Amino acid sequence: MPTLLGVFDNPDDVAEVITRLRARELGALETFSPAPFDQIDEALDEKPSKVRVYTLVGGIIGVCLAYLMQIWMSYDWPIVFSGKPYASIPAYTIIGFELMVLFAGVLTLIGFLIVGGLPQFSTLKGYSARFSAEEFGITVDCSERDASEVEAVLRANSAKEVSVVDA
Amino acid sequence: MADTNEPAPRPTESQLNRDILSVMEGASPGYFLLLACAALTFAVGAAAFLYQVRYGMGVAGYSHPVYWGVYIVTFVFWVGIGHAGTLISAILYLFRAKWRNAINRAAEGMTIFAVMTAGLFPLVHLGRVFKFYWLLPYPNQRALWVNFKSPLLWDVFAVNTYMLISIIFFYIGLVPDFAIARDRSTGIRKLAYTVLSLGWQGTGRQWKSHNRAVLHLSGLATPLVLSVHSVVSWDFAMSLVPGWHATIFAPYFVAGAILSGFAMVCTLMIPIRRIYKLEHIITDYHFENMTRFLLLTSTIVVYAYAIEYFVAWYSGVEAEQTSFWERAFGSYWVSTWIMIICNGVVPQLFWFKKLRTSVPVIFVIAFIINIGMWFERYVIIATGLSREFDPAVWGQYTPSYVELAIMCGSFGFFSTLFILLIKAVPIVAIAEMKELAIHERLHGGAH
Repeated sequence: MPTLLGVFDNPDDVAEVITRLRARELGALETFSPAPFDQIDEALDEKPSKVRVYTLVGGIIGVCLAYLMQIWMSYDWPIVFSGKPYASIPAYTIIGFELMVLFAGVLTLIGFLIVGGLPQFSTLKGYSARFSAEEFGITVDCSERDASEVEAVLRANSAKEVSVVDA
Repeated sequence: MADTNEPAPRPTESQLNRDILSVMEGASPGYFLLLACAALTFAVGAAAFLYQVRYGMGVAGYSHPVYWGVYIVTFVFWVGIGHAGTLISAILYLFRAKWRNAINRAAEGMTIFAVMTAGLFPLVHLGRVFKFYWLLPYPNQRALWVNFKSPLLWDVFAVNTYMLISIIFFYIGLVPDFAIARDRSTGIRKLAYTVLSLGWQGTGRQWKSHNRAVLHLSGLATPLVLSVHSVVSWDFAMSLVPGWHATIFAPYFVAGAILSGFAMVCTLMIPIRRIYKLEHIITDYHFENMTRFLLLTSTIVVYAYAIEYFVAWYSGVEAEQTSFWERAFGSYWVSTWIMIICNGVVPQLFWFKKLRTSVPVIFVIAFIINIGMWFERYVIIATGLSREFDPAVWGQYTPSYVELAIMCGSFGFFSTLFILLIKAVPIVAIAEMKELAIHERLHGGAH
């Protein structure tokens, strides 16, 4: 199963190629980009990233844990401070907020790694240093039969180069 | 910002890689000299601290009734410095102010180191520093927990959360840039950047999760940064000390923090830009935008100063009135007027476009603001405590040499870390600059 690599200068072309190849179901795609571009994101996957679930869960865990911790500890060794009740929710809001942000942030980091497939231990087929400079790449794993069609789509959308990176 | 200088044409993407990565390569004798000076200053502070640990808090200038001195002043100062980094990286990100891309990396690095420096001071301020962990709620033999109703404890949580979130934010932003450095380095550096970049290859999946993570962290960091200095201000405002017990403290401190933070960004970025010849990346346009922030926040701070005096007068509370009278015309008058002139009067020069666009002028004014902001905290803390309700227990506070040495040491600590950072990470966010460069290449125009 050959892997074709197309090299582009323009993220709009990359997005266009993704849409066309997807429409014709010509094989699995991978893109390389030196910077983030919304059009490529949207062409690849219209659904919002799952990272948001991690952030939300982290935030909820953090805020619940913070209130529970403060209330439990206040009752575990009860001392009256400033005439306030042991479980004084308004005074505990600050730490509730801080731990919400902390847990949400840590889980966002974890979500970033899991959803982004990091760490990535191997070099992907077709990746080279040019894609961390200024060029964009698309690799397509397609069947022998479709290779010429894939190449035609790549070239039709101003690919600078098309090469076979893995026969 | 219609009347702003149009930014200069941007360099191409490969040029960006080259120019920004070249900052990290090699080091001149001047670099080592600067590093040595910073490290030496830090060493002096560290020695003073050890002296204090050995001989006790008596060597600090603490005397009745002032038991919060230079250490707390410097703590508040450094926490404040950090705020501009988060404002640039998170708030301006949410507002899609793309000009931030040229300065956010350095500002975020500054934030982390400023908060780390600040974090030293509550420890320096402790009589028995080796018991610092008593600040945290942990199961212990005394079966005792910390007091969650104390603003001082809120501060422990706020500052630590702020530091950790800033580090996470900084690191996620760095991953694509570490990959750029990895692809263009050899030997041990390549190995280090390979590990740090986590095998980043800029795939669609990686960018998507990266963008989402940055967006969410911006959303989290924005209220966080406002909360941190508010909590710091409540260390004071929650007490009953005249001059401290005011509802205006939270916004007043946050505006002051942003003022001092932007001033510090200017103070650091102007020499870096000149030494490493990054004028085509960090342009005068960026500095002009920062001066607008300086002008805005300085004006808010002036307003807060005025309101403090007004409230003291209008409240009819004699202790408040006396406290503020003593500030301006009592034994601390020098500090008070330094504060007013440096933070309130001098930044108003930025109303003039000529001064706003002159980099040497910006550098000088930013430096003056840094000094003024340190004095602001000194005035609040020292005058507040030394002129409380009962004139019979009024006192006078003068910082001791040990305190001043430790304060200088903190500047050494911060500078050492920042100087090392310049050689360790790309000091301008390359991938984010490329986003702009590619957009400009294809569609023309500039953000």
